[in-house]
Amino acid sequence: MEAILKRTAQRVHESEDEKLLIEQAQSGDREAFEQLVRRHDRDILRLAFHMLGNREEAREVFQETFLKAYRSLGRFRFESSFYTWIYRIATNVSLDHLRKRQTLKEEISYESDTETHPDRPALKDTLAATTYYSNPERRLYGKEVGQKIQDALKTLSEKERLVFELRHYQGLRLKMIGEIMGSTEETAKNYLFRATQKLRAYLTNV
Amino acid sequence: MNLNCKEYQHQITLLLYEELPEGAYPGLEAHLQECDDCRSAFESEKAMHSVFANDTTGWDVPSDLLVESRKALADQLDRIERKRPWWRVPTFSVVFTPMRLLESAALIAMGLALGVYVSNQQGRNIAELVPNSAPDNQVSLIPRNGAISNLQVVNADPATGQVELAGEVSQPLRFRGRMEDDVVRQLLFSALRDPNNPGSRLKAVEVLSQKPTDEPIEEALIGALVYDDDAGVRMRALEGLKKFANEKHVRAAFMYTLQNDQNAGIRIEAIEALTTHNPKDPDLAQKLTEATEKDDNPYIRTKVLQFVGTTK
Repeated sequence: MEAILKRTAQRVHESEDEKLLIEQAQSGDREAFEQLVRRHDRDILRLAFHMLGNREEAREVFQETFLKAYRSLGRFRFESSFYTWIYRIATNVSLDHLRKRQTLKEEISYESDTETHPDRPALKDTLAATTYYSNPERRLYGKEVGQKIQDALKTLSEKERLVFELRHYQGLRLKMIGEIMGSTEETAKNYLFRATQKLRAYLTNV
Repeated sequence: MNLNCKEYQHQITLLLYEELPEGAYPGLEAHLQECDDCRSAFESEKAMHSVFANDTTGWDVPSDLLVESRKALADQLDRIERKRPWWRVPTFSVVFTPMRLLESAALIAMGLALGVYVSNQQGRNIAELVPNSAPDNQVSLIPRNGAISNLQVVNADPATGQVELAGEVSQPLRFRGRMEDDVVRQLLFSALRDPNNPGSRLKAVEVLSQKPTDEPIEEALIGALVYDDDAGVRMRALEGLKKFANEKHVRAAFMYTLQNDQNAGIRIEAIEALTTHNPKDPDLAQKLTEATEKDDNPYIRTKVLQFVGTTK
């Protein structure tokens, strides 16, 4: 009981401390903003890295997320936690990047189909070559199970991937994931269910 | 499979993610005892979790990516701040309104009280402030031994006579304390961020290097090593971190330095520290080979070859 009270008191202290930092950052205190960034930047980078699958895009998402936060912090009204707010920005930016990548894929596929660029590598290969799942660093680890998991994760839709990432790897509760997605816990549950169904089917024989 | 089974399989997913409401568990348990399909789904989903749990193929974000991303963000924020119009730069602001006057007076009183308290309690010297808070005299906002710079007129309304000014106030400061004190640390960290004074950044790094025993100091030194424009400051930060060159974050920062620092002397120190503190490490050997294959400094390339030789 004492431990619970202590943890609760610590959380209250942390949340008050964060509120103060946000207020200072809102009034233009760069150092306060940087402290806020440091509290969450590892998690945001991990999310971006897992979602986008390569260093360059992960770095872009990281930067875009915190720059958006920096520019719109003045409009943050403490209606959600800062954690939820920054994750919401990061997930939207990540999804935008995935969509842009999809658009690019469709455009290049169209051109490739016309057979006007026979020397151009297939987009599938280009994308695969730049993804985290198949980049040289990862290949060095090259374990069969890891590769299977990466392949399985590629079968998920953007939102299924996002919910699975946030729940499985980032350990967020489904309620918070719903909030981050601007949706409900129920929707998050459904995405998680669909994701696990697909993964189960893919990984049956591993 | 009927709809009921589908619902139970939803519950299986929630159970394995510890999100199943407590009241739902007995029903699920009973169903699993009588339904082969759902029991098989349960086993299959447990197996899937085991597969993920056994995946050790490096889901961690590479440390150097975090260092790079932080640096890129800091550079971008610097650029934004440089472009920002001067009237939006956070500075002190004096507006001649009664509410602001009261707020200002209250702030001065609080500042004085804090100054006197700290001075009396710990025998530390805080620069003297003027104890004059006469509301009709705005010059009293400025410490007697302070200096004003970059004063600008933000707004001047001839109809109301209201004027808004913005500028910066600085005043001498002297503080004594131990390295463990938060105030001492904050002052040193603040000195590290002073873009106009490399001498003070160097001094701060030297002092922090004396006792780089905890994470905030280690992070500050890594920040200086990676971000500082002054080679002397970066070198001193590297020296302070040397003995931790086998720790993950320090090692990543040294690798970053090795690949990005323009100063060959600093790169040489980085490679010396990495190879000394991570002897016979084949993983490091491979990374060093990749990182330095295009380095134009022959000493660095030779050093890497020698190190690679020790790992075979």
